[in-house]
Amino acid sequence: MQEHVQLTQREINRDLLSGVLGTPKWWLPSVALLALIFITGVGAFGYMVNKGVGVTGLNRPVFWGVFMVNFVFWIGISHAGIMISAILRLTQAEWRRPVTRAAEVLTVFSLLGATMAAALVHTGRPWRGYWVFPYDFPRGVWMNVRSPLIWDPSAVNTYLIASSLFVFVALLPDMAIVRDRSTGLVRMMYSFMCLGWRGTPRQWRLQAVAGILLSALVLPVFVSVHSIVSWDFAVQIGPEGWHSTIFAPYFIIGAIHSGVSAVAMVMVLMVWLWGWERYITPDHLDAIGRLLIVVGTAWFFFFFLEWIFALYTLEGPEIALRELQIFQWPWSGLFALFVVTAFLIPVPLWLFRRVRRSLLLMFLTTASVNIGMWLERFLIIVPGLMRKQPLIFNWGSYQPSIIEVLMVAAIFAWVGMGMLVFSKVFPLIPLFDIKEGMVGRDEIRIGRRTVPASIRE
Amino acid sequence: MAQSIIGLLKQRSVLGLFSSEDSAADALDALREAGFAQGEFEVLTGTPYPEGTFGEAEPVHKLYRFPLIGAACGFIVGLLITAGTQLAYPVVTGGKPILSIPPMAIVMYEGTMLGAIIFTVIGIIFESRLPRMFMGAYDTRITEGYIGVAVTTQEDRVGVAEEALRGAGAEDVKRGWERD
Amino acid sequence: MRNGATQNAGAALASPAGVTHDLLDKHRTTGNMFRAAAVLFAVLFVLGIVGFVMRLQDGVSNRAVWGYHAALFAFILTAAQGAPMVSIATRLAKAHWRRPISRSAELFTVVGLFNLLLFIPLLWVLPSLEDGRRTLWFFGQDEVPSHSPHIWATIALVALILCGIALLWVSALPDLAAVRDSSTGRRRRLFERLAFGWHGTTKQWHMMRSRLDILGVFYFMMMVGVHFLISIDFAMALVPGWIDALFPATHAFISLQTGVATVLVTMFVLRRFGGYEEYIGLDQFWALGKLLFALSLLWVWFWFSSFIVFWYGKKPSEQKVLELLMVGPYLPIFIASFVLSFVAPFFAMIWNPVRKSIWGPTIVAAGVLIGTFLDRVRIYVAAYSIPGIGDPLVEKHDLHEIPSTVLPELPDILIWIGAISGSILVYMVATRIFPPINIWEQKELLLYRVHRRFHRTEVTVLGKPD
Repeated sequence: MQEHVQLTQREINRDLLSGVLGTPKWWLPSVALLALIFITGVGAFGYMVNKGVGVTGLNRPVFWGVFMVNFVFWIGISHAGIMISAILRLTQAEWRRPVTRAAEVLTVFSLLGATMAAALVHTGRPWRGYWVFPYDFPRGVWMNVRSPLIWDPSAVNTYLIASSLFVFVALLPDMAIVRDRSTGLVRMMYSFMCLGWRGTPRQWRLQAVAGILLSALVLPVFVSVHSIVSWDFAVQIGPEGWHSTIFAPYFIIGAIHSGVSAVAMVMVLMVWLWGWERYITPDHLDAIGRLLIVVGTAWFFFFFLEWIFALYTLEGPEIALRELQIFQWPWSGLFALFVVTAFLIPVPLWLFRRVRRSLLLMFLTTASVNIGMWLERFLIIVPGLMRKQPLIFNWGSYQPSIIEVLMVAAIFAWVGMGMLVFSKVFPLIPLFDIKEGMVGRDEIRIGRRTVPASIRE
Repeated sequence: MAQSIIGLLKQRSVLGLFSSEDSAADALDALREAGFAQGEFEVLTGTPYPEGTFGEAEPVHKLYRFPLIGAACGFIVGLLITAGTQLAYPVVTGGKPILSIPPMAIVMYEGTMLGAIIFTVIGIIFESRLPRMFMGAYDTRITEGYIGVAVTTQEDRVGVAEEALRGAGAEDVKRGWERD
Repeated sequence: MRNGATQNAGAALASPAGVTHDLLDKHRTTGNMFRAAAVLFAVLFVLGIVGFVMRLQDGVSNRAVWGYHAALFAFILTAAQGAPMVSIATRLAKAHWRRPISRSAELFTVVGLFNLLLFIPLLWVLPSLEDGRRTLWFFGQDEVPSHSPHIWATIALVALILCGIALLWVSALPDLAAVRDSSTGRRRRLFERLAFGWHGTTKQWHMMRSRLDILGVFYFMMMVGVHFLISIDFAMALVPGWIDALFPATHAFISLQTGVATVLVTMFVLRRFGGYEEYIGLDQFWALGKLLFALSLLWVWFWFSSFIVFWYGKKPSEQKVLELLMVGPYLPIFIASFVLSFVAPFFAMIWNPVRKSIWGPTIVAAGVLIGTFLDRVRIYVAAYSIPGIGDPLVEKHDLHEIPSTVLPELPDILIWIGAISGSILVYMVATRIFPPINIWEQKELLLYRVHRRFHRTEVTVLGKPD
């Protein structure tokens, strides 16, 4: 049975703006800690820029290490945000209401994190980043559109701009609410940012249409971004195990798996940190848990296809790579950990209603998925390069150096810090969406039973 | 021309605040009866309501044109960038033709989508009649659950509007040009 | 919502009894047009049998002549056996608009029975694994029977069909009982047996719901499994050097897209000729149209995901595969299927007036059906045209010579006409047993959908029980 608490607009304002108009006690220490980790990482980055990429563990033949793993991982996380919010908007699922904003914001910050991992850190020479743009007339040298490393920035930038605008449009009514609750300079700033929102029927109508239309436009972008990331790998024929047509869907579904899990983690955190249990109820976790069962199983199917076709080739090097991945220590240990954490523990557990409705268990299982999915990317990238075949005469292994570890930690800290800072400036749960849900709430009595219902126009 | 601009400048707005949806709807009826035109009054709410809840006119918009125009622009820009850069710097890489359609399609696709999305957002803002420089009559209680009915009209008709708003059960009537 | 199905109907359809009577009446009467169509399709089906006998004269050793037959089997598998997913997915998602069309989608499971007939000759046409081709069963590495593809594909296909029929039956039990209660004599006795003693106890309803969910999930998994086995063992493995890990998923995905198209066309026929316009309305066409639009976008993504990897990688074996399947002997067919499965749906359905209409999605869906048929022809005819791997001219794991285009012959055309008519005939016969509109789901909708006044406007309130 779904629980529902009918709240007035005043109560909603008070609850959901608590983090914006006031400051929770834990907020400053947490942000400070994350900022410290981030700054340490920036220091490590500076050291790497100064000394060169030799300070990392990258060496022949493994030139793509944890930075690339993080790039793929954060791009993956960024996917769920928009996916959850866009698909749930298009299907008019009621449980989307408290989740959309946090998911979209997670998208923006993890995309920025991914950009840091790839564009700034992974490339090694960030000062040449502008080479991917059509620029440099006098030199007469232009970017090579035929390279996947050009497709990538075009897709990621499109996605970043699109998702930021998506967040911005949905923020307009909420910024007006903050404007009305604040004074002085702060009020002026919010007045400016909300563009003078008043809440006329026309503005609300456009807001509703915008939600649907932008969702429909962002979804194809979202699919393209991770596909293109996967083609960074798949179109190459050198490294073993990469040249597979399954990669685009496999990466997408993996991204959704880890991303939806991350959104579930954020939902639990919102209850724990801000105490919004009246807005994010076990019903919401139940709904996202059911979604995760479908996504996790679909991911497993593509994982299975990837493997079966690696064996189907009957090619020696390919099979040798697979043997390395599953039989040779430490890869075998990582592989076992990956399969167990990404699928074998969480998905069977989600089948139980009690697990899906428990904050703690949902947090633990979804965190486990993300550990597994991080390892998945690691196990695709590193062993594949270790066994790179044509024209490579030395095989080597790879171990991340402390510099890399610090920078990776910085990216994780960045995303957490970004979310926290955002939550101080803007409400993390869309107030107007919650209010709309309250207005549209109804029930139908059938005999002795009351069925929750909602208004559809 | 000048006359009409002065007329516009002379417009005043008043706001009635209502605590129930029905009395706000009554206010709209009363305003219509008092001879106010459709464009002279509007409902302000802190939350979206189903269309026509207050018996207001359905807003008409042309938002769907924006993404199409944006997509066309984005596509053309994408085509020019991809084809242009390859022709300007014709180095064969990976045995691919200089003008390779599949990679160009990828970049052009992103350009098309980017154009469509940027134009859509511009369209949303434009069609929402934003940004709005002068708020006119407004009250912060609107985002707290009150329903506002704002009337923007000639100075001499303000009294009639206020009467209509009060008659419908407004809890408060504010004048836009008086600071509180 | 103003064009909602039941809203168009008269006041009689606003009550459960009215709905039951109306639907049972429609189900009981068999119109003249129905009879005429049945006779026509029966005659065409006989033509198909003639074609099949002609085809059998060529024997099964020459694989190339069976390509069109294999394509036809794959097409019916894709189009008809994917259709029940429309009902399964929307029921799991608790979408109310599915109610009038769920039965017509599930009825396609009986076409699967017919498709089994088409599958039988393929078991003889497909060579055993002893020729040493690449296979899912890693023949030669382990001790597996050399007829593993034949055995497992048959088992999976039969399981899929049985599961589908079980799904159809379980979801129809209350309606079969309604037919039983409203009829007399022999008809009553027949439906008494079909309804398995359904009386509508709370326990029975509860059991039925949980079984429907489980059978639905099973059906989907088995459908994916069948596409996996068929697409690899009955197509990909016959082409040396074709290693496309995405292909089984694409094959199954196209089944979802074409399933939606099949249901759309069926809905149109039921509405136009079956007298169900009060039930099947714009809501259904609009919702399925949007789904078809989204799936058509995914179609191009699936295709491109495979294509770009092959095109960019430039391995000789992959170039040959691209040449065989796309730019070589079957280029016109490839272009046609690309246009019908993606370009036309995309550019037509992007317009609101087309998407939100009855004719728009129907025409697009008919195009998608043809597109999928051509797509299957392209893949299966090309795969079956490769001479056997035992042939000394064929390298074991690489394709060197691209065979020339295989054109359909008279028996092929007769078999197409016959098989498609046969499928339609089977479907028509099934509608005489199972009411083509789900009566109980339609009555359930009356409980969960109410129209209320909301201040100055009229709104629809939809209940979502959990």
